Order: sequence, then C-alpha cells, then structure tokens
Amino acid sequence: MNRIEIEHLYKAYGPVEILKDINIAVPEGQFVALIGPSGCGKSTLLRTIAGLEQITGGTLKIDGNVVNKTPPRKRDVAMVFQSYALYPHMNIEKNMSYSLRLKRSAPQVIKDSINSVAQTLGLTHLLERMPRQLSGGQRQRVAMGRAIVRNPKVFLFDEPLSNLDAALRVHMRSEIRKLHNRLGATSVYVTHDQVEAMTMADHVVVLRAGQVEQQGKPINLYDQPANKFVAGFIGSPAMNFIEGRIGADGHSVLFGANHVLDLGRELPVGQNVWLGMRPEHLQLEGNGQILRCRVDNVESTGSMTFIEVQPEGGKDTPMLITHGGKAAVVTGDKVNLFIDTANLHLFDRETEKAI
Amino acid sequence: MKKFLSHFEQRSGFEIALAVFALAYLLVFAGLPLLYNIMLSFQQVDLMEPATLLRPFAGLANYRDIFSRPEVHQVLINTLLFVGLSLTFQVIIGFLLAVLFAQDFPLASFMRGLFLAGWIMPGLVVGVIWKLLFAGDFGVLNHLLMTSGLMHERIFWLSDPGYSLYAVIIANVWLGVPFNMLLLSVGLAAIPGDLYEAAELDGANAFQRFFGITLPMMKATLGAVISLGAIMTMQQFDLIAALTQGGPANSSQVAQYWSWQLSFQTFEVSAGSAVATLMLVLVLIIAVFYVRSTRSERMV
Repeated sequence: MNRIEIEHLYKAYGPVEILKDINIAVPEGQFVALIGPSGCGKSTLLRTIAGLEQITGGTLKIDGNVVNKTPPRKRDVAMVFQSYALYPHMNIEKNMSYSLRLKRSAPQVIKDSINSVAQTLGLTHLLERMPRQLSGGQRQRVAMGRAIVRNPKVFLFDEPLSNLDAALRVHMRSEIRKLHNRLGATSVYVTHDQVEAMTMADHVVVLRAGQVEQQGKPINLYDQPANKFVAGFIGSPAMNFIEGRIGADGHSVLFGANHVLDLGRELPVGQNVWLGMRPEHLQLEGNGQILRCRVDNVESTGSMTFIEVQPEGGKDTPMLITHGGKAAVVTGDKVNLFIDTANLHLFDRETEKAI
Repeated sequence: MKKFLSHFEQRSGFEIALAVFALAYLLVFAGLPLLYNIMLSFQQVDLMEPATLLRPFAGLANYRDIFSRPEVHQVLINTLLFVGLSLTFQVIIGFLLAVLFAQDFPLASFMRGLFLAGWIMPGLVVGVIWKLLFAGDFGVLNHLLMTSGLMHERIFWLSDPGYSLYAVIIANVWLGVPFNMLLLSVGLAAIPGDLYEAAELDGANAFQRFFGITLPMMKATLGAVISLGAIMTMQQFDLIAALTQGGPANSSQVAQYWSWQLSFQTFEVSAGSAVATLMLVLVLIIAVFYVRSTRSERMV
C-alpha cells in the first residue's frame, strides 16, 4: 500500500510554475530522497506534502485520502527542519512533548514515550537543558526526537544535515538510516547532496526546474541515467562528458582528434552525441579499448588518486580519472587509458536523452 | 578601580572624547537638575531669595506636607488609574495591531505607517484635537454617540468630574498605541517563521500557537515595552495641560501635573520637588525592570 501518492501535482506562485506534473508514489516504510540543484523545487515539494504550501493542481494523498486542502496539523506528518526550529523557550523535554501535550495525552504516556525516544537518541541527560545550550548535532537529534515521539504517518526531512560539519554529517547519515531500519517509518528526505541520497534512500527522485528528471533505485540511477543531467548529477566525482558523433559504421563513436571507440551496438549513423564516462570506469591498466592520453594534473589523497588527462591531440576536453590507491604517473606522462565500453553512456546532443 | 581604568587604556582618544561629551551632557542637563530637585525637596525654599543654593534644611517636612494635603488621596488614585489603564490598553491594542499588521494582506505596511502619524504629533497638538472631539456641545464624540443611539444625553467629557480622568486616559491611549505597536512589531518580526510551521505540524491551532509560541517569545519585548510605557506615561504632561489641567476640582489631577502646578503655579517649590522626587524613585524602580528585560532579550 502507498503511504503517499502524488499525482500530476502542480504548484505555481502567480504565473511562475514551481512544480510541474509531479508523480511520485511512496510505499509504506520506504525512504525516499528528493534531490536536485538549488531552486529545483525539492523543498517546495516537501512543504506541499507537509501542507505548509498549497498545491495548485493535481492530487496529494496520504494513506489513500486526498489531503489537498487539509491543514498541516490534521495530516499527521512530522518534519525535521533545516534550522531544526526547536522552541527556544522550552527545554528539551518540553520541546519533544509539545505535540503530545497539545493532544492532551496522559502525563504518564508522555513521560514514557519521551524517555524511550530520549534513550534511543542518547538524549536522556539533556532533557532539562534549553536548546541554546546544545551543540548542533544534539539539536539535530532533538529535532528528530520531536518527530519520532509523535509516531506520525510520514517523516519529512528538509536538508537536516546541512548545518553540521562534515564528520558529523557522515555519522548522522548512518544514524538516520539505522533509525529508519529500526522504526520502519515512511520518510521523505530532501537533500542537495547526492551522496546522502544514494547512501540513505530506497528510492531517489531527481528534480530539475520543478520537474522529475528520473526516479528509481539509487543504483539504477547510477547505472542507467535517463539523461545527461541525471548522469552528471549522480556520482562523485561527476561523469566526464565529451562531444562526439556516431560513425558511418553505426556502432562506433568518433571524438576529439580522430579517436574512435567501438560500442558494439546498433546506433543511429551520424548522430551528434555526448559521450559520458565515469571517472571510476577509466583505468590505467586492465582490459578494454585503449585511448592514448596526456596527464595534465595529479592529485593524491593517499587512498585515492585523481588524475586529469587530455586525449592525445585534444585541447579542451579534460577528463578525470579516479585511481584506487597511489598511481605511478606524473604530470606530462603519456598513458594508455583502458575503457570498458559496457560502462559508456551516450546522450543525444539536442535532447540530452540517453541513447 | 584598576579594572575600570583598564577599559580606557585600550581606547583611542577619539572614543574617550565621544564618551566624555555624552557624559558631560547627561551630567549638566539631567544629573545636576535631578540632584538640585532632590536637594530642594529637603529644604525650606524662600522665593524672595531664589539664587541661593544652601537653604535651611527641612528634613522630611515637605514630604509630610504633601501627604497631609486633602487632595493627595485623589492624586494617588488618579495617577494609579492613569498609568494602569493607559498601559493596559496601550499594550493590548498595540499588540493586537502588531499581530494584525504582521499578517500578509494588501496595504498592511502602508496602514501600519499611517498609524505612526499619531506618534509623530506633539502631545499638545493631540490634546487640542481631542479637546475638539470631547467637546460637550459640539464635540464629534458626543455627536456619534447620540446619533448612533448609544447615548441619549450629552456627556461633558472634560468638565464632568466623573469623566475627565477617563477622557485624558482615552486620549493618552490613542497617543501611545503606535509606539507600542511599533516596538511589538519588531519583536514579532524577530520570531523565526519556522517555529510557527513546526508548531502547526505539531498540531497547534492558531490560538495555541499564539499562547504557546508568540506570547512566550515576546516576554522580553513585552517587559521592555511595558516598563518604557510606564515611564513615558508618568511623564505625560502636555496632553493633560491641553485637555483638563488636572481639573475640574482635581478630578483628573495626576502626580506629574500636580508637581508642576505646585512648583510653578502656586510656587510651593519644596512641595513640588518632593512630589517630583517620589516620582523619580518610582521611575528608577521601573528602569531597573527595563534594563533587566532588555538584557534577557539579548540572551535569546
């Protein structure tokens, strides 16, 4: 059964359409990530689910009931804000119990649920503190606790980790996912960080300019991007793109200074394309077709080496390679790049759709 | 003392000069008159020799004198009513207006601007305008009350001892509302919008959001506005001068106007100074509350 169903959803501010024809179904217990560049409408979409924004077209269902006009407080959804939005004048216990107190739950019930949630999140010793006395990570945890206490139908997360430092972000990422595994709560998670989306979500929705570009399992988005935008957005470092053309033989692609790669599949002859290659699929040794390159720059992190190369004879087509461990190359070297054509992506130069 | 002096060592001469100028201004135009006033209240003042500084010491005689006067009870009660009622209505109406204009509707900020018109007018001018509104025979207020059928007889707002104080209070409320609205608007604007959204998702209706979020978040601002309003109300002078001059028969007499009348109309300078000194003590107590609430405002 679907917890959330979004059908042909539109949202406009006056003549400006922010969201166009959004269709998403979230089964019960699933963790869905909404991802896209700033201004793509992902936060607005989340806020329409919460009811903080009214939709201007289509239907929005929670548990099968249309909630287009239902006010936020009757939707039974909880939200974790980017700013956490903790009530500054209430201590942590009061912050977490606010919704239960509004519902006039029995004092013992409130106490029990606060204690159990506080224990789950490691907040027990902080219950008497005020929000301003807490660190960023602790506030983040309280914001989550406030949502969990309510046991809502849906959890909404609006970039909850973006105010934390890098190390804490990685830690909280796995904390949230583990929590989700334990509670099994239906969650919608907005982020601009594709690593967060890939690692946490069961289902990823990529948005651009108010439209869904592609949605599916994270690994499917990585393996079979539907267009150049998704291909470039998913994966880190980003995919390399080179302009090319399908050769007269109908199964090879020509690019740069007379370079040819045989893709071994039927392709439209003469078609202008973008050739997409992920840095991790370009090898300095191994099997595959060979591309002669010149090394322009080498950056080593110890565990990983980033090598920027230029196909021989080319000028403005730098390509990035990620090489596990240390690499024995220096700037100016000539190297053979081994390319497994099974991992190559082709996109129409005009429509940018995958071929 | 060392610590106090070390504050100056880190400052440039320009900064010290600025501070000295401000301090000197305060000392000459506020500090000395205050001290002189306190001194007068403990002295026997002879108007034949106004230029002397050292006069016969009177102890608490001046204070005993004012508390033995027949009108003192009425003045005390009037002052209490004047400050209490003015403050209550100014703050409540100001707060409601601030909440109203915090909503998003067409011309909201324009209309808020209009409300400030009352604030920039001198109290004396406001007093004259309200005198016309309150006038018994041809006043606008009486005309409205009679034609709307709420009243069948004219009220002589300013000359009826039963109404005069309330007439002054009404005019003072009108005068003070914009100031309250402005300060409270600033406080409201400082409350982050996502707190209301979080509360809404937590299940709070508009009523619960007001009492659960707005009011507690406004505590510091309200404290500051109330204490500042109390001080300003206790200083309200020109409005009373324009409307009733404390009359008829002291029915709208309040302490600050009484003090002025004693000192400069009946020339009982010692008694007037004693009243002023008592007011000063009250204002100081309220000022402590004001400083404390602005301090906690900064903490949030």
